[in-house]
Amino acid sequence: MSGLSNSSGTAPQRAEAGDSASAGPRPWWLGAAVIALGCVCLYGAAGLAQGARYAAIGPGLFVTIVGGVLVFLGVALLVQIARGETFEAQDSEDASGDEKANPVALATAFAAAVVPIFTMAPLGLPITAMLSFVLVARAFQSRRMWLDFVYGAALGIASWFLFTKLGLQLGGLLPIAGL
Amino acid sequence: MQSFELLLQGFGVALQPMNLLYALLGSILGTAIGVLPGIGPALTIALLLPVTISVAPTSAFIMFAGVLYGAMYGGSTTSILINTPGEAGSMMTALEGNKMARNGRGAAALATAAIGSFVAGTIATVLLTFAAPAIAELAFVFKPSDYFALTVVAFTSVAVVMGTSRVRGFISLFIGLGLGVVGIDSMTGAQRLTFGVPGLYDGIDLTVVLVSLFAVGEILYVASRYKPGRDEVIPIKGFAFMTKQDWKRSWGPWLRGTALGFPIGALPAGGSEIPTMLSYTLERKLTRYKDEFGKGAIEGVAGPEAANNAAAAGILVPLLTLGLPTSATAAVLLAAFQNYGLQPGPFLFTSNPQLIWGLIASLYIGNLMLLILNLPLVGVWVRLLLIPRPQLYAGILVFAMIGIWGVSGQVVDLIVMVAVGVMGYVMRVYDFPIAPVLIGLILGPMAEIQLRTALAAGQGNPMILVGTPLSTVLLIIAALFLLAPIVLRRLAK
Repeated sequence: MSGLSNSSGTAPQRAEAGDSASAGPRPWWLGAAVIALGCVCLYGAAGLAQGARYAAIGPGLFVTIVGGVLVFLGVALLVQIARGETFEAQDSEDASGDEKANPVALATAFAAAVVPIFTMAPLGLPITAMLSFVLVARAFQSRRMWLDFVYGAALGIASWFLFTKLGLQLGGLLPIAGL
Repeated sequence: MQSFELLLQGFGVALQPMNLLYALLGSILGTAIGVLPGIGPALTIALLLPVTISVAPTSAFIMFAGVLYGAMYGGSTTSILINTPGEAGSMMTALEGNKMARNGRGAAALATAAIGSFVAGTIATVLLTFAAPAIAELAFVFKPSDYFALTVVAFTSVAVVMGTSRVRGFISLFIGLGLGVVGIDSMTGAQRLTFGVPGLYDGIDLTVVLVSLFAVGEILYVASRYKPGRDEVIPIKGFAFMTKQDWKRSWGPWLRGTALGFPIGALPAGGSEIPTMLSYTLERKLTRYKDEFGKGAIEGVAGPEAANNAAAAGILVPLLTLGLPTSATAAVLLAAFQNYGLQPGPFLFTSNPQLIWGLIASLYIGNLMLLILNLPLVGVWVRLLLIPRPQLYAGILVFAMIGIWGVSGQVVDLIVMVAVGVMGYVMRVYDFPIAPVLIGLILGPMAEIQLRTALAAGQGNPMILVGTPLSTVLLIIAALFLLAPIVLRRLAK
């Protein structure tokens, strides 16, 4: 039933499309990104055997199909965008899709996700956890940064001990100091 | 009646003190994450996966089942008290439940939700007890071509039903399929899409993708659109429990909700959204108190909540009998089975009856535990909402990185985390469904193996794929899923 109402709901959506498309730039890059992903698959599949002697298909065919379909879907998405397809951001528990994105908060949260790539191996989990904790809290407009350092460090150290005891390989407590 | 004997043996397993403890732990954890925003059952089970190294499979699955059911109970609490549905399935509960809470009838709304969840969960578990072995029996005759056709049905239905656009649904699915082929090919040993990075030889772990999409993507998205100080918890005034009339108005919706939720939940891509919506619409049509709908009608809480819980039990049917996941949570449960070297499906019922029946028996026990945990203790759970959002989301990221770093200890996975996390952000902003990525990732390799086995058996003749009546029927169903929206739109004009 709801599938029905979804698909029949596209007609009024399309009618509105003109307004919102003029309000914001059309996300052409989205279709391009999907085509690019498809090309990565096709490139990776090019070096693989498409057929095998006994089985009819080799390791490459499935990858080729996935890549080809992704390119096709990317083109289909571009066509939809050209026709004025609207994209409504999803609602989440603490965020409404109608809200405009705050670039500073987004960049801070992104930094929190990137930090572990550089610090996890040399500095270990507790310090990495503390840094990411502070950055996420900051992205969510926490004003007590010093307290966040304390919370983050406590959480990092406590979970390191707990999960290491449970058998997880989380590396040293502070690898750079040889601990 | 063989099922009944096996079930009794299952109770013998589930009632062992250690397993009871795991059921309790899972139920508590499940309720907590159901109440908390930003973290759902799929993410929680994914984060618990590494811990299973040191836990026996039966105990682990009993705990996971507690998380799955508990999240459904906890989700209704937030829907009713702060009008922010925790899981997609509790959206309908928020409509009437929150109005009831505003009218000072919060306790009655919570009670009908919890008791309805218990009734539905228990009936659905009974249905599971008797349906699962029968379906597993059927699955014994499945040939590789049948399995391949079945995965095709799962793929098309997931991509079509979830989300608002078929193109975007299929993009999500094929990104998942693409991530699934990364690594060394199990049949020939060839490296696929690894681009020479040793960390990718073993493939991309489902945990890494799931945690990145659900935790990192969600944190990026919520952070970018967060406004502090919006939530308002409605205090439960007094103890206005369910009146005699409330009971009278609730039991019908409970049963009808169960009847909708279980079968739809068992279908590929059925999920919990559709049955809860159907249940709400149905109760609205059937009720004698039409004017109360929209202002806090108890039927509008009782029906959808029952449907929600029954659907959660429903997803276990295709998962346990066919090894076919139909939701993000089912996908991560399948990954848990694979972690133990187990493959859900008909053979698991004969090779590991202790595990299967212990798990099913624990569902009965878990439901009872959850009823007790939720009814008198609802005030305790509500306090979880007092955790300030900045520290809550910061904590979720810390657990996410522990989950990912603990899987492999490779920096490559942390890079994948950022890349997939950014993808999760983009998918939320441009409304791509997320579950098809996970279904594609976990089911893609299976579909490929079945396809290649089937073709090898047929010496390369593609006609083998429609060689059995079942595979033909399944492929026709898949085609119908694909074409139905187009046909329906034509008809509507």
